[in-house]
Amino acid sequence: MARGFRRKGSGPRTRYAAQLDPLERATVAGLMEQVHDLLDPRPPAPEGGDDFASIVAGLGMGVTVAAEDQADLDPDDAERDPALDRLLPTANRQDDEVAAEFRRLTETGLRQRKAAALEASADLLRGDDKLRLDEGEAQAFLKALTDVRLVLGERMGLRTDDDVDVLEATAESLDPDDPLGYALAVYDFLTWLQETLASSMLDR
Amino acid sequence: MSLAPVKEEVTATGGDVAPDTPWITIVWNDPVNLMSYVTWVLQNHFGYDRAKAEKLMMDVHTQGRAVVANGTREAMEADTEALHGYGLWATFQKDD
Repeated sequence: MARGFRRKGSGPRTRYAAQLDPLERATVAGLMEQVHDLLDPRPPAPEGGDDFASIVAGLGMGVTVAAEDQADLDPDDAERDPALDRLLPTANRQDDEVAAEFRRLTETGLRQRKAAALEASADLLRGDDKLRLDEGEAQAFLKALTDVRLVLGERMGLRTDDDVDVLEATAESLDPDDPLGYALAVYDFLTWLQETLASSMLDR
Repeated sequence: MSLAPVKEEVTATGGDVAPDTPWITIVWNDPVNLMSYVTWVLQNHFGYDRAKAEKLMMDVHTQGRAVVANGTREAMEADTEALHGYGLWATFQKDD
């Protein structure tokens, strides 16, 4: 059973401590790795398009959120995964050229920094059940949890606050074997974990 | 030939060349990011105090968006890039 993050000590010796069991650590680390692979700026493997499949597979979801259902694909990049648009959103809603220029200048760096935080955070979860993060590790962990939750949220169709309420209401009537129920349980766990870390980092 | 006031001449050249046209950075509401996290990001990136960060966070939450910074275009682009690094839904634009 997990224990959420708590702040220990003060000043440069501050640590953020939590406890996760091996299954919880493997689940969170596995999702961080998948989002890392989604963002990895290196060219995709020849078969391509498998990032989506691997995330779904990693969730144990059959297939519930087909990529072709997504309506807002960039016409210039029909293959672009909609989850990438949550991780790397449009930066200017008034001028497509300005937005494209911004993306050209920033996307590679953003992908690299996000991938690095996800990799470092997954590594932290491969040690002991007891986590003790310093300030830098905690900041990377917070960002990594955010990016995983953004991708999971996109996969579950969360676009507005109302979608969350609808999903929570739907969850109660889901078949126990429905992969969406499992995905939602994982999402709720990540939300809880991130809330304990963010709120303990705010208390200063 | 007319003698327009200097101020109007500046306005007439207007648009993109006006050197001090303020730009803004906006954070948009989304269903995933936590209120505590958004507050922390605004404090951590901009150095805002807790009260200001929470006010802006609540504006995002209740009004769908909030202007979190203003300044030069370059500064707003840098803020937007940083906020994307945090996973926030940020945009920059000219302040109309």
